Amino acid sequence: MADLQKEFNDYTKNLNKASKDENIKKAITRAVKSYRETTAETLDRFPHTPEMAEEVRGIKSNSIAHNSELLKQAMDSVERNKGKAFYAKDKQEALEMTAKIIGTGKTIVKGKSMLGEELSLREYLEEKGNEVWETDLGEFILQLNHEKPMHILSPSIHVPREKVAELFTKFFNKEVPPDIAQEVAVVRDFLREKYFTADVGISGANVVAADTGAMVIIENEGNVRLSTGAPPVHIVLVGIEKIVPTFQEAMKVTEVTWRYAQYGVPGYVNIISGPSKTGDIEKVTTYGAHGPKEFYVIFVDNGRSDMAKEEKFSEALHCLRCGGCMYECPVFQVTAGHFGHVYMSGIGAVWTAFVAGGLEKAAPLVFTCLRCGRCVERCPMKINVPSMIQKLRERVVCG
Amino acid sequence: MMAAETKLPPVLEIIRGNIVKHGNPLAMKGSEVAAWANALKLPEHGDLLFYTGGEYQLLPFIDSLVSTMTHMDQGSKVFSLMMGARNIINKTGINAEKIYASVLAKDRERFNSISYKAAIILQKLGYDLCYAGKKELYSGALLSELGFCEDMESYALKVAEVLKQSRAKTIVCLSPHAAEVFKFVYPKLVKDFPFEIRTFVDLVWEKRHRLPAIKTDKTVVVHDSCRLARELEITEELRDILQSVGVPVREAMSNRQWTTCCGGPNKLLFPDVSHTVATRRVEELEETGADLILTSCPYCLSALQGGQGKDTKTVIEDLIEFLFRGFEA
Ligand code: SF4
Repeated sequence: MADLQKEFNDYTKNLNKASKDENIKKAITRAVKSYRETTAETLDRFPHTPEMAEEVRGIKSNSIAHNSELLKQAMDSVERNKGKAFYAKDKQEALEMTAKIIGTGKTIVKGKSMLGEELSLREYLEEKGNEVWETDLGEFILQLNHEKPMHILSPSIHVPREKVAELFTKFFNKEVPPDIAQEVAVVRDFLREKYFTADVGISGANVVAADTGAMVIIENEGNVRLSTGAPPVHIVLVGIEKIVPTFQEAMKVTEVTWRYAQYGVPGYVNIISGPSKTGDIEKVTTYGAHGPKEFYVIFVDNGRSDMAKEEKFSEALHCLRCGGCMYECPVFQVTAGHFGHVYMSGIGAVWTAFVAGGLEKAAPLVFTCLRCGRCVERCPMKINVPSMIQKLRERVVCG
Repeated sequence: MMAAETKLPPVLEIIRGNIVKHGNPLAMKGSEVAAWANALKLPEHGDLLFYTGGEYQLLPFIDSLVSTMTHMDQGSKVFSLMMGARNIINKTGINAEKIYASVLAKDRERFNSISYKAAIILQKLGYDLCYAGKKELYSGALLSELGFCEDMESYALKVAEVLKQSRAKTIVCLSPHAAEVFKFVYPKLVKDFPFEIRTFVDLVWEKRHRLPAIKTDKTVVVHDSCRLARELEITEELRDILQSVGVPVREAMSNRQWTTCCGGPNKLLFPDVSHTVATRRVEELEETGADLILTSCPYCLSALQGGQGKDTKTVIEDLIEFLFRGFEA
């Protein structure tokens, strides 16, 4: 009991501090402006998007309603493709399964994944005696700075270049000037070596097609290509809500996701369905040609199927993690990820309640939300966050 | 309820207890809340019930409560959870009288007069109003918004009873929060809730051509209230009204359904963050170069004012105050 009080107090202190932080203010103001401009511009350029978003709403709600069948189908597809598929019912299971595949003393390169944050995956694998590298530039910066992400897509949104230069100078043990191009270059050189010596690559997935077992991963940096292509083992950890019935539907979800995620047109869309293989010599299928020889997919539940069962909350599973709502949230605009616990802002409060900490961790967030509803205007899935927040308040208050 | 009482921040418990026991969030007497109407002698019965919910009248007191609470926890500026709200209230002696005493007379007068001005405007436009006077109860919107579902269920019945005594067919609400809760929540809680729910803005809009023109050298920007714009979908009406009184309107970058929240809703629990949000919204509105900010919601009015810098020249008014000028001239 006493702990909850401390939590609420720590949270408030932190939130207040964030709301006065000039770095956050500057960074988010810039980010919001650019988000709105890019999104307006790309929606203009691809005017079919809102209609497609509506179609995707249908796809997602149908997929959540049939989640257990789709999960089975997706797992079968992965196995047919000579991958190995697992179902983890909770955080602990997911972590243990991953650790069992990896073992200890390995080098791991990892792509950005909110599920990874939810599971504290990097920390767990490190505890098991592995070396883990975040390969997304933003996540890499946070890893060095021992911080948690402040936005789901731009995790280090609050760290200015001067601060990055300071961090890198210390870490690489050589002078790195506050010049963005040079900062990017030192990380590129450092990680390039890691990709080709790593034992395991880990990634999440934005969408999974049950019929083909295809994992779709959207990115711009190219770090996911390298992390999932260079090491001999690739492990995907993905939430069960990401599964849709068909490949064609998966493509629609992908397009809508990136468009609202300010990617315009993303640099890369990776589609991975199994281990690397060749039949070029005597038509004998051999695994591990240029890419990974082993391919594992761990489908993580961790509260998602409970959420799916609740009429008032199942819609939250439609979330594409495009991050659009966060840019529109007046509280997020002044506090960044401090208004969150793993998952951020209003939708994050709902996710926190079900999958990442429970109602106790969600309570302060639930009362921080203004319920102003601008997130709903932005959300391609039209998720009614304010009404869910109100329902969660009722749970906090009335039990 | 035991668990909730110990688990919730004290300020919530104060608000809840006051609404349930005294019919408004600050335990003020009905006769005080209704004092603005004394001179008007509005009938108790009629077709159109004028509903203030006490919201404008109570505004300065809510602000005073917030600053008292903030002051109380000044060391950390955080509220203590789970300490037993009643203890804190008893120990610190926060009560209506103390808060009442700390409110400036000029603020009290200004906010009281808003309800008065609203009634006059509607009357001049030809609406026949009735009013519940000192029997009027606060809508309970906060109970609903904050999640006090059980309290809200029984409280709504009490409120509905008073509303029915008016024999009105239509209720005109000054606050969009009251309109929202009557329109969307009450029908689910009260079996027989036969009222048509309208807002002040809505009724004025219908007869906007009768409004006297307003001469002003000020440039005006509209701050859309979230509830009004998104739940009640009233946006163009505000512009139409201002156009018919001959006042050009500037638009903030975020307007209509994209409006930015004033920060009011979490003022009770997170006064610092709320204040920052309000300041940013005021900045957005001031960027238009306008020198008069108009809104149509008591909480927006109060939050935006709180967010204004000390030496700002911009004035923030409720639409009611602004329109009333036309009748004064
Ligand atoms: S709630 Fe909607 S806007 Fe926010 S991240 Fe999810 S899909 Fe995007």
